[in-house]
Amino acid sequence: MDAVSKPALAFESAFTRRSIIASYFLVIFLALPLWWKTTSIERQALPVSRVYAATGRELAFPIHVALDTRNCEVGTDTIVQEVRHHVENNGEFKQNGLSVEVSSATATANDYQVVLRPGTRDPIVDGRKVTVEVAPEHAGVAALQLADTLATLLTPYTSLRSSQAERVVTYSPRYRLAFTLLNEDAAAGNAALSWDVQNALAAQLSPLLERLSVLHNFTIESQVQYHGPLAFEPRALQVGEQIEHGLTPGDLTVFVNSAEWTLSSSVSNDPVLHFVAFIPSSKHSPLRIVDSNGLPTSSNAFILPQWGGIIIHNPQSTGIVPTLAGRPLDTIFATFRQQLSALLGVPELPPHVHARTRGVAGVTDWQLDALVRRRAAENAASAQDTLQSIVRLVAQIEDMPVGEDVKGDVQDALAALDQAYSTAPSSSTEALTFASKAQSVASRAFFNPGMLALLYFPTEHKWAVYAPLFASVTAPLLASLIREVLAWKKERKAKARGPQPVDSQRPKAE
Amino acid sequence: MKSTTVHRFILFILSVLLLGRGVVSNSEPAAPVKQFFEKHGARESGHTNNWAVLVCSSRYWFNYRHMANALGMYRTVKRLGIPDSNIILMLADDAACNPRNKFAGCVYSNTGNYLDLYGDNIEVDYRGYEVTVENFLRVLTGRMDSSVPRSKRLLTDDRSNIFVYMTGHGGNEFLKFQDNEEISAFDIADAFEQMWQKKRYNEIFFMVDTCQANTMFSKFYSPNILATGSSEIHENSYSHENDYDIGVAVIDKFTHYVLQFMEGINKTSQASMQDLFNTFDPKKLDSHPGVRSDLFRRPLENTLVTDFFGGVAQAEVVLPALEDAIVEPEALEPETKQRQSPTREVADTFVDPSLLATGWELPNASDVTASALRQHGGPDVDYTKLMVAAARTEIALKEPFTSTLRAWASSLLILALVSWTTVPRNRRPSEH
Repeated sequence: MDAVSKPALAFESAFTRRSIIASYFLVIFLALPLWWKTTSIERQALPVSRVYAATGRELAFPIHVALDTRNCEVGTDTIVQEVRHHVENNGEFKQNGLSVEVSSATATANDYQVVLRPGTRDPIVDGRKVTVEVAPEHAGVAALQLADTLATLLTPYTSLRSSQAERVVTYSPRYRLAFTLLNEDAAAGNAALSWDVQNALAAQLSPLLERLSVLHNFTIESQVQYHGPLAFEPRALQVGEQIEHGLTPGDLTVFVNSAEWTLSSSVSNDPVLHFVAFIPSSKHSPLRIVDSNGLPTSSNAFILPQWGGIIIHNPQSTGIVPTLAGRPLDTIFATFRQQLSALLGVPELPPHVHARTRGVAGVTDWQLDALVRRRAAENAASAQDTLQSIVRLVAQIEDMPVGEDVKGDVQDALAALDQAYSTAPSSSTEALTFASKAQSVASRAFFNPGMLALLYFPTEHKWAVYAPLFASVTAPLLASLIREVLAWKKERKAKARGPQPVDSQRPKAE
Repeated sequence: MKSTTVHRFILFILSVLLLGRGVVSNSEPAAPVKQFFEKHGARESGHTNNWAVLVCSSRYWFNYRHMANALGMYRTVKRLGIPDSNIILMLADDAACNPRNKFAGCVYSNTGNYLDLYGDNIEVDYRGYEVTVENFLRVLTGRMDSSVPRSKRLLTDDRSNIFVYMTGHGGNEFLKFQDNEEISAFDIADAFEQMWQKKRYNEIFFMVDTCQANTMFSKFYSPNILATGSSEIHENSYSHENDYDIGVAVIDKFTHYVLQFMEGINKTSQASMQDLFNTFDPKKLDSHPGVRSDLFRRPLENTLVTDFFGGVAQAEVVLPALEDAIVEPEALEPETKQRQSPTREVADTFVDPSLLATGWELPNASDVTASALRQHGGPDVDYTKLMVAAARTEIALKEPFTSTLRAWASSLLILALVSWTTVPRNRRPSEH
């Protein structure tokens, strides 16, 4: 093209050109570790074998029952033998992880004591002691009766019906109890403007909360609302000369008007149990619960499973009550207490067994122990489940990151679980503490925000995204590399052949 | 290579056989359980609370109809009793107060402006740019920062029925989020599996209104999911009507007809899911809506619409079981008395009336129920999981092979390209 050959520019030497090309590759090679680091997912190794080793392990609670037959004519040894035999044949104990040991030794503080004496009264529970009376004519089946009573007291859950199991809330170490005095329409007469909630709580509820404090930590909030309309019209009933209003079982399920009632604050993430005392407006007073046949029942309270309890309070006289207090309020809170203990899964005593001193707490040692054992077993099983699902998901979903904190939590949960197993024989309360810790730590590991898997991209997408960029970049890079290598070879060959004027160094044609 | 494939095949056959055996041997003890459930109302879904996750994944004024879709669903679930605290509404929320909106602060889903969906009582949990794929997946899986407030969380448990509704622009196995990112059918399927593993739901009803919507639920593999979508693969979903005052389409056909059906439902309605699906008419919709129920364990005729759209309470309430849930205040009398005179020595014969009516009479039946109620992690479930796992590994084993093949092919292509560019240039000097 150009007749006059230009003098070679400074950068047109072979060395400069090669250094420039080499620098590209240098950058690529230096960037490789960075690329590797930024695109790889941190996946810590989880203690998989330990998790699977814990599978199916159950908390074992040894139970010592001391049999006291001093007041009975029957031989102690024979009856102990017989009770032992019946207990061994009863699958319920094993199912619940209880190994019951019956002996005639004197009871220590943590042992269960059974006193057998002649009589016809129903069994009476006092602390960890139960007094069983056996009529002389039934002396032959005394052992069977005893074993039966023990089974219902120690494993009350196996005979629970589904609805009862369903209403029990899932375990949480913390609950918020939200009490609401809800007036349907205070402006239309028939309302309570305030309530003496402090005293009622202290008198009716505190002993129970105190008793259950080994299991849960409660936060209490309360409020009074003056306008809480129903979302439906209760049906009118003619009772004598009076018009009453009825809530059918169907109405009860839709009673809570969630669109218009604000029943709890949302300040924390603890589960909330709602308790509502509903005062119907004068238009709907008195408000009764009717059965499926449309006849009024004597009850005025109901439980919504896992949600809370509601009591409908029809005041004796219509009109505005400035402060609800005293006997009516106590009744309301006593109902709340029953609802609360039902929701928390406190087992009821069998119908034929009575408590000597019930007190306001209304929970005997037998019931509390059974609840603690059950919650401990539940938590341990749930922790195991969670750990297994973490391991399974991590294996299943390849793009799921597993950070150091997740690994730490899994290890902590396993350690707590081990502690729960080892402390269960000595103390069920401690076992519960550890099992609950294992469960919450395992949950924390599962819900770790860092464990969100990368989004799925089909392989085609990856190629479609990367090919247009990288193919066009790689082609000239590789081409120049090959060309340089060829040129270098040629040059070396030429050198080997001897010094010869070669115009391979000339600038390229434009 | 070949021998391993054969091995794998044999293993697969064996596992299928084993699974078959497992299912057969399992069905026998389950029979009385099934009978019990049929006797005590097969409509039972076993849930105690309802949640809804409603997602409108579009933004901008011309996608007005997607916002109307989501708000229409929001209004319906709220009307049927799901409280705001149990509804997670994800909405770009730029329609109501858009400068182009002639009816400021209102969103209508029909011409004639009969019903303002926006109203004065609406709680949008994720708004505007918060509507992202990541946030949606975090809501489902529960993997949140500890600072996220309660209202933005899906606090479900193994007794929760969840209704998941999604609308937006989508395609084959994906749904666009705000013209910015996409969620794929795989991501949602994996999220549901994680929820199942953590026992975060009892049942899920998944509804999606977008183009090629049925592909969105094709990848699900977790149990107890019922899914429906507006259109088949390679098929569009269409908007229902334009409003000439608003100037854009106001609702999509599928959602419109679902909402129309829902208007006839109240809180105590006994309409079943099958009734809802029967109303789907491909002629009216201009697309073929799909229903996927192979993962769902209950027959659709026995699944109430209110099991997913309803409020707090369970269908169980019609059973006599409610009777024992009622606590009679009279029962408290002896206790209150005793409190007043604590010195009394007599053993109180405290009989809880609720107990008399319950389990003690029927210990055997109750055992059966108790075991039947353990739906989670039950033996059947394990087998299905195994099967799914087996199927997945099969897929996973195939995939790398094809992808490496593809990788090699494309690298060869690049190499060919490179050599093509280098060779002629080297020749050029000699041609001169």
